[in-house]
Amino acid sequence: MSEVPEIATSAPRKLHPKVLLIAPVKMLPSLIVPLVGVLLVGGFSVRSYAFAAFGVLATVVFAVLRWATFNYEIVGDRLEIRRSLVSRSVRTIPLERIRGVDVSTPPMHRLLGLSVVKIDTGAGGKGTEEGELDGVTVQEAERLKSVLLRRARAAHTPLPTALGTAPPGDPTASPGTPSPGAESGAVTSGAGPSAASAGVGDVPGGEEPEERVIFKVPRTWLAYGPLSGAYLLTPFALAGGAIGLSFQWGNELGLGGDLAVSAGQWLWERPYLLLVAAVLLVVAMPFVGVVMYAVFNWDFTLKERGGYLVAERGLVTRRSVSLEARRVRGYEIVDSLAERWKGVARTWAIVTGLGDSETRGQLLPVVPRPVAHEVTDNAVGPFTAPLRPHPPVARNRRLFRAIVPWLVLALAAALAAWVTAQPLWWIPAIAALILAGLGVPLGLDRYRSLGHGYDGRRLSVRSGSVRRAQAVIERRAVVGWRLRQTWFQRRAGVLTLIVGVGAGKGGYEAIDVSEDQSVAFPTEVTPDWLTPFRT
Amino acid sequence: MATGPLRDPENRVSPKAVKLWLLEALVGFVLLVSGAVLLARWIPSWSWLPEWLSGNSWLLVAGVLVLATPPLVAEPFVRYAVHRWELSADVVFARSGFLTREWVFVPVSRIQTVDKAQGWFERMLGLATLEIRTASHSGSSTIKGLDYLVAAELAERLARRAEELRDDAT
Repeated sequence: MSEVPEIATSAPRKLHPKVLLIAPVKMLPSLIVPLVGVLLVGGFSVRSYAFAAFGVLATVVFAVLRWATFNYEIVGDRLEIRRSLVSRSVRTIPLERIRGVDVSTPPMHRLLGLSVVKIDTGAGGKGTEEGELDGVTVQEAERLKSVLLRRARAAHTPLPTALGTAPPGDPTASPGTPSPGAESGAVTSGAGPSAASAGVGDVPGGEEPEERVIFKVPRTWLAYGPLSGAYLLTPFALAGGAIGLSFQWGNELGLGGDLAVSAGQWLWERPYLLLVAAVLLVVAMPFVGVVMYAVFNWDFTLKERGGYLVAERGLVTRRSVSLEARRVRGYEIVDSLAERWKGVARTWAIVTGLGDSETRGQLLPVVPRPVAHEVTDNAVGPFTAPLRPHPPVARNRRLFRAIVPWLVLALAAALAAWVTAQPLWWIPAIAALILAGLGVPLGLDRYRSLGHGYDGRRLSVRSGSVRRAQAVIERRAVVGWRLRQTWFQRRAGVLTLIVGVGAGKGGYEAIDVSEDQSVAFPTEVTPDWLTPFRT
Repeated sequence: MATGPLRDPENRVSPKAVKLWLLEALVGFVLLVSGAVLLARWIPSWSWLPEWLSGNSWLLVAGVLVLATPPLVAEPFVRYAVHRWELSADVVFARSGFLTREWVFVPVSRIQTVDKAQGWFERMLGLATLEIRTASHSGSSTIKGLDYLVAAELAERLARRAEELRDDAT
């Protein structure tokens, strides 16, 4: 893409024309239904073909116009994205505000050698401040990524880019000082060999930061995927989606509701078919789960490049997310019951000013716990203190919450069975009773999970059972404390302590700490803040 | 009122805040009761309810009145007793709540913006709400029912002090 290396960044650029091939194909699904409708209603006449042809043509013309009126440019210290199809609009993104550049290659883009570049500015709102360049060549994407991120980094430090020095105060950048002329490894998301050279040529005196693979997840570990439970319901979701779609299309095709009703009746009279379908779906759960998980997390690789943590993953759509290492303030390690049994866990980074941190902040997919800890110790730092347990009354509260609602339901159903003399009511009654029984180990485990600790540099809180999450946060990321006490908690003499953190979710809770702990813990972490208010 | 290891914040909110909470509670009360009245007039047409229920739908209104009146009366006074604030040693300490209590500690050095806001009723009563924001929602504080002049002065003081103390902690 960069024929003119010197001024490559100071001329308006267009998206690659090949993207025009994608746009009409992407619009096809939304076209098919009306097209089929036109053809059916109008019969197979010349006129309906004309209508259909007109629709396709309009789509193509629209795509071309949109492409022709769209350009982007790096002007000085900002990125400008201009659209002038309907009205002229310029989105200006100051480079210093760029927190991350997210390059992904959906399947069709990959066929054509294109990428989608998303620019994250950390503005809380969704979409308003973000920039998206849908359809630049892979090389251009890599160039943009390195230029945007380097500029963004340079803007944070007083050093001018031209010096090509790595910014100081970047403790996590391991071999942070790039050796002159060092090229980035061409391992980046399908980038051709020209990617690195394009990046080097574009910024005079700039050097490609060195790249280091922190961890690559072996493919055998993809089998851990369904343990999280997240992908287990995909067979049901797929079946539901298919049914919904067939209804929608059925309507469009004029097959109407009568057919659906009669189909439903036909099925209702053959309940074994429904049973077989349900069993099939259940049996398919782990397999489809593995497949879906593998599609999203194929070859998950965590790298470090010039002060950025880069996470790449995906089989069909290859995604690469860059997180500025300087902004990482901690991590959250999550496991489900099944994952705990297997000794594996998932890991997210807690990053300041990262929008959509649930999907973007992921440091590691499901990996064995020791590996997760090794990586977080490396990227964030170790947490060494033991977690302190919460008072015994917290156990009673966990048990009460896990058991009593089900017990009440069981009682209500039993009462209904007794009043109406309908034996069918005993089914929900017994089901609720079983769930209440399961509440005992669940409540105990929830209590066992509760804990908080501080090792002098980082604090940690943990809670949950079916989904247990432990957050480890650097002390400097704490921006405030909040204590909350409901009426029931007041009777029990416990509180919920919320650590206000200017990163990640914003608040991390220590549930049901004792009154003494609720003040002692914040005082321990930030002594100056609470001491004046203690009795 | 103080829970164990924490003392009360020094300052109460304005006494006029009692009226504010009363007005706000009244609005909710009126909405709730009128909703109950509407429902009570509609219920007799429900054929699937047993006779003794659909015939005595006024019970619903009576129940709502009985249940909603005590909190209506109690809330303003409880809140006035609970809501307190203090600015000491460059930390804002605020307590609030009715059934659920909250204590918030916000160090001035982490404050990003300080806003004062006035709703309808607040403008009528000469009150203001101070919104102290940090990079985290959980680390942010809202002090309601301050006298307008007090709020303005506090906002000014916090903003000036925050600028002096600003450190790069987001």
